[in-house]
Amino acid sequence: MIKCVVWDIDNTLLTGTYLESGEQLPAPDAGLVEVARELDQRGIVHALASKNPPEAADYVARVTQLPFAAAECGWGRKSEAVRRIIDDLAIGADTVAFVDDDLMERAEVAAGLPEVLVLSPEDAAEAPQWPEFRPAVLTDEGRRRGQLYAQRRLRQEEARAFGGSRDNFLRYAGTRVQISPATAADLPRLHELSVRTHQFTTAAGPASEADLAGWLDSGRYRLLTARLSDRFGDDGLVGGVLADTGESAVRAGVEAGEAGAAAGEAGSWTVPLLVMSCRAMGRGVLDALLAALCQQAAAAGATELRVLCRVTERNVPLRLALAAAGLRASQASQAPPVGEPVVFARSLSGALPALPDWAELTAARGAATSGGRS
Amino acid sequence: MTGADAILAALRDMLAGITGRAELAAAPPDTALLGPDGAGLDSLTGTLLLTEVQHRFGVDVAAEDLSLDSLASLGTLAGFIAAHAPR
Repeated sequence: MIKCVVWDIDNTLLTGTYLESGEQLPAPDAGLVEVARELDQRGIVHALASKNPPEAADYVARVTQLPFAAAECGWGRKSEAVRRIIDDLAIGADTVAFVDDDLMERAEVAAGLPEVLVLSPEDAAEAPQWPEFRPAVLTDEGRRRGQLYAQRRLRQEEARAFGGSRDNFLRYAGTRVQISPATAADLPRLHELSVRTHQFTTAAGPASEADLAGWLDSGRYRLLTARLSDRFGDDGLVGGVLADTGESAVRAGVEAGEAGAAAGEAGSWTVPLLVMSCRAMGRGVLDALLAALCQQAAAAGATELRVLCRVTERNVPLRLALAAAGLRASQASQAPPVGEPVVFARSLSGALPALPDWAELTAARGAATSGGRS
Repeated sequence: MTGADAILAALRDMLAGITGRAELAAAPPDTALLGPDGAGLDSLTGTLLLTEVQHRFGVDVAAEDLSLDSLASLGTLAGFIAAHAPR
């Protein structure tokens, strides 16, 4: 699946060369701009990589009216420019397409970044019909993704100029994280998150909407969502966590008149799934989700929180968040057999991780109106 | 140049640069790296630090320390790097 298309400017998105066009700057290529707009509607974001001054990117953004998540202008290798965009957006190289009219540039990117899908403008014109450019799930957040990444770029520029600590910047930006129980309306977006994210997931694969619905209705599981907004924009639903409270025997026991059956199992809550959008990285969302879960588990009488996490090269950021919330791998510090999750656990007695002061835990959504999206 | 003091000094500079907090350039070894007290690294800034550590010292902390216990403090991370740096 392609998540981002990196476009060349000269003779690709523009019908000419920016620096050689004198007073009359070249017009945008209407056909490719239309393609890009169609992909944007499908939640595929756009970026620019061009051997031009930065003003060229501003010009292209203005005349095409497209949101760009990143722009790399300079005279270095295109493969390095694309690599910086990949790092900046925290996505995999195999989810990126690169479009350039210049055969040499295409060859250079293909050699330097073999996972990237390299296309000529003619290829790109047909791309909307290809399966790689057709996401299976499309949510409200997905349709607005290009715009959300463009907001993210503005936020990052201000954060760099801000100079203070991260927490002070988050407060200054009016950051708001809202943690609340999931509802049926949240399931498509939670499924989409579980499909799209690789850096911020504990699970090996996606959770289907049917699985999520089963957990939501079971009574035994808690499914929490995180919504994120600030004055740069509203990111909508960006994270979720599923906890097995181990109380399955409670209802069965009550029905059978054996209320004491579950008493011995109430000891720990186990998290088989924790996901977050990589766009939300560095804004306290995972910290808030884990803190909220610790509080809820402790309030329900649990003494331990366990998170089952498959350890991969790509989910280091998630493991950092687990460590920051006081969760430690229970096995010796070595990798388990391939595919087996590691149990990260912490005690729920004593001081619990605190919710960041910009986060709030709400009993049910609907009580809070601002920032909420259906 | 992988003596413990040199590692500590390099880590302080990295921390100050990544967090934008100049005072961390003089942080004592018992400064906590994660969580709200101390350096306050999170998943983003923590990843940046580990990437820089790997680049500078050739130690992939995330691969060798599942729990990331080595990030308990500035001093424990310096010790972990000293013990795992390729010779």
